[in-house]
Amino acid sequence: MEFTALFLATTVTMLAAWLGLRTVAVGLFALTLAGCVLTYLHHATDPLTLSF
Amino acid sequence: MTRSLADALNAVALCAVAFVLLAAFAGQAWLGELPCPLCMLQRVLFGLLAVGPMLNLRYGPRPSHYGLSLLAAVVGAVVSGRQILLHILPGDAGYGSPLFGRHFYTWAFVAFAGAIVAVAAVLQIDGQFEGPDARRSKPGLFASSAAWLVIGLTALNVASALLECGFGPCDDNPLVYRLLQPR
Repeated sequence: MEFTALFLATTVTMLAAWLGLRTVAVGLFALTLAGCVLTYLHHATDPLTLSF
Repeated sequence: MTRSLADALNAVALCAVAFVLLAAFAGQAWLGELPCPLCMLQRVLFGLLAVGPMLNLRYGPRPSHYGLSLLAAVVGAVVSGRQILLHILPGDAGYGSPLFGRHFYTWAFVAFAGAIVAVAAVLQIDGQFEGPDARRSKPGLFASSAAWLVIGLTALNVASALLECGFGPCDDNPLVYRLLQPR
């Protein structure tokens, strides 16, 4: 579900950038990038089932 | 560098992002390999990489627009680098099928690293930033087509992610589209 939200946020960010809403686009970019970092950290802290 | 050359390079950058997203979709559709969570995160970051060129084409080149692309590329390189490291042990076949001998996440790392180098190189040329800073006229057909293609492909990923993950967390190793499964 979080990836659906991230893709949707990215699409809206692109639309804002292309349709001429620069401030909105930069703000949405920051929020989406923060969401990406948080999602990455969530997965990076998963326990790894390594075999050694 | 003139504004027109900067516009052309930014439009080419959008085409490159579109090519990456199309290649990822082709692998998903033809090979039947669903993207893992880290794979989808890399796709999102490729999408964010395109926001800088779009703003450059719409408002004229600005260092701050290139900065957005650099931020997205650095995070993308970190994510794809982690996925490489997850499969670095001898005997690990990696995730998904390789393309030209390398997995998609390895190519993604190369692409993000290349984007960092390309943006840093283009930033060295000050001529593109000279001139009026007013809102630009409508971008050309090539740039518009590339921009709408990237937007369309990202919107398709919204549908793909929804079909794959449904309304819960995504599987680490997805095999089926969750929403298409009979209940």
